[in-house]
Amino acid sequence: MALRQWIDGDESAAEMLTRVLKERTSLLVPPLHRVPLHVGNVVELVGPSGSAKTQILIQAAVNCILPKEWNGIRYGGLECSVVFIDLDCRLDISRLSQVLKLRILEGNGNGDWGNFDALYTTCLRRFFYIRCYDSFEFLATLKTMHHKLQKERDDLGIGLRLLMIDSIGAYHWVDRVSSSLPLWGYNRKGFSLANMLEAAVEEIKKLLLVHPSIVIASKATIFGDRSSDIVRREKSSSETESRHGKSDGGQVLYREYMPSAWQSFVTHRVFVRGSDEYLTVSSCEHQSIYFSEWLLPSLGVLDKFIVKNAGIFMVP
Amino acid sequence: MAPLKSLEQLHPIIDTTFQSFCASHGIFTVEDFLIHDLYVLAAFAEQQPESEKLKQGITQILSVINAERQPWMNGLELLEDARENKHFLSTGFEGVDTLLGGGLREGQLTEIVGPSSSGKTQVCLRAASNVATNYNAKVFYLDTGNSFSPQRISGFVNWKSGPSIARTGQNMLQQVMSSISCHSVYDIFAFFDVLHQLEFNLRSQTCKGDRRVQLLIVDSISSLITPILGGSSSQGHALMVSAGSLLKKIAHEYNIAVLVINHTVGGDRGTSKPALGQSWKSVPHVRLQLSRDPGSNVCQASILKHSSMASGMTARFVIYE
Repeated sequence: MALRQWIDGDESAAEMLTRVLKERTSLLVPPLHRVPLHVGNVVELVGPSGSAKTQILIQAAVNCILPKEWNGIRYGGLECSVVFIDLDCRLDISRLSQVLKLRILEGNGNGDWGNFDALYTTCLRRFFYIRCYDSFEFLATLKTMHHKLQKERDDLGIGLRLLMIDSIGAYHWVDRVSSSLPLWGYNRKGFSLANMLEAAVEEIKKLLLVHPSIVIASKATIFGDRSSDIVRREKSSSETESRHGKSDGGQVLYREYMPSAWQSFVTHRVFVRGSDEYLTVSSCEHQSIYFSEWLLPSLGVLDKFIVKNAGIFMVP
Repeated sequence: MAPLKSLEQLHPIIDTTFQSFCASHGIFTVEDFLIHDLYVLAAFAEQQPESEKLKQGITQILSVINAERQPWMNGLELLEDARENKHFLSTGFEGVDTLLGGGLREGQLTEIVGPSSSGKTQVCLRAASNVATNYNAKVFYLDTGNSFSPQRISGFVNWKSGPSIARTGQNMLQQVMSSISCHSVYDIFAFFDVLHQLEFNLRSQTCKGDRRVQLLIVDSISSLITPILGGSSSQGHALMVSAGSLLKKIAHEYNIAVLVINHTVGGDRGTSKPALGQSWKSVPHVRLQLSRDPGSNVCQASILKHSSMASGMTARFVIYE
């Protein structure tokens, strides 16, 4: 009997195909739509404060928690749960709820309200949120997350697909000074910035093995561009930049400050920033335009987008 | 969090054998546990004589960690918390309230930036008197430059109640004044002291039904922090970020609206910029810029940043003289 079981295998080819196809479904969210994101990708969203980073995260979350289809109406979501780790304590849940509502209403067309409430609460239940106030809490969260996720997976019947961290550099300054010499024992690991992030990266890696998902981390640029380790744009796109008439030469993007453990963990990197340009919607309404640009892989294309009530929209 | 030794009393499984096993791997506190790979540690425990007990100890510490961290919330719970506990407090200036989408939000850190005499302190004093008057709440005012003016507050209160009802006005004034507690702090360490004390008081009185603190004002945060910035050391930045996250923690956990002032300094090319720059910029939820028309008492406010609204809107308002 045991032998029979062993020969039977774990799943049929058809089952495997559906599973693999499901794992390969990609997240397409503007302005990250240029490269389809798959499970296992680690995306870093870098930009100065006020460059719509959190908005992009909210957009990605909404895309994830919406179902593919519900009562015959197509919503085009991924129908899976999302974890939002808020290191900056700044997420405004009413904003997420607003985007979600507008997306559902857009799909519904002619408001079916009973349907609306059920779908709305189902979606919100797939969004998990935790806030942290220092690196230790962040590590504690990562270390104990597996059990939480497993429980939710059993309850909801769907697994985690998107892990978001806002923002990964939040404790940079605090950890930088806490590298004081360890007391007790020569073999004690110091709480240096590098050690902390290395531990966090290791935990996330382990988590991804059990809960395959996309990681999106936002990162604020917290420095001016005085130092040497600045990230410069590749030649190819600097022309695009100067065409948009930026005065500072358009070369320096930001200064990298994350330790190497994190940098080598990142597989995709997008740079976003605000601009002085406006899109005139109507005579009295202006929308400020944001720019996004892929740095890893370097595509050399500058995309423009605006943030409306219903989320992010690309503009030509 | 704590040294492992201190856990022994509550959790007998963390005994001396376990402690010495951990010590041999450089683990002395719960924090040390956090930066270690527990799977590797468990694998080492496997090779020890009392492996079962050691592994139980690891699990025990994990559950201690699990109990210490912040709670998980799902979208529905978050939304409910926002609806029930995070209200908008009116600043007393209608224009500013509309601009902020309803006023100062409990749980959020609102920042006012502006040059000298652009009305920053006036907005703070007005907000303090308004919250104390209309919400029957306490206001915690941290004053770093002796700019707190009780006369101004009584002016606001009397102006509102009108001189005709002087008797009730007097009572009202007394009540408002007693709800606003002002604390002078002149350096960042005193600031942390006061905040920790406040946090402690808040924690111990959460269940009491009397008036609670709903507004915390820091006038100004930049004068505490700018002296410690600069130089090659990052100590100043670390203190700045810690101050920001402590304010946000108090704001969120005790449902308090926090209002801080950041003055402006001269930047390059003759422009002015906020005294706390790039690293601070990502701390506040809302950033409001004030400017005043020269020679008049008309102020202009504009949103530089908002967590749920488009920025760039402006409003004008008059400070009562």
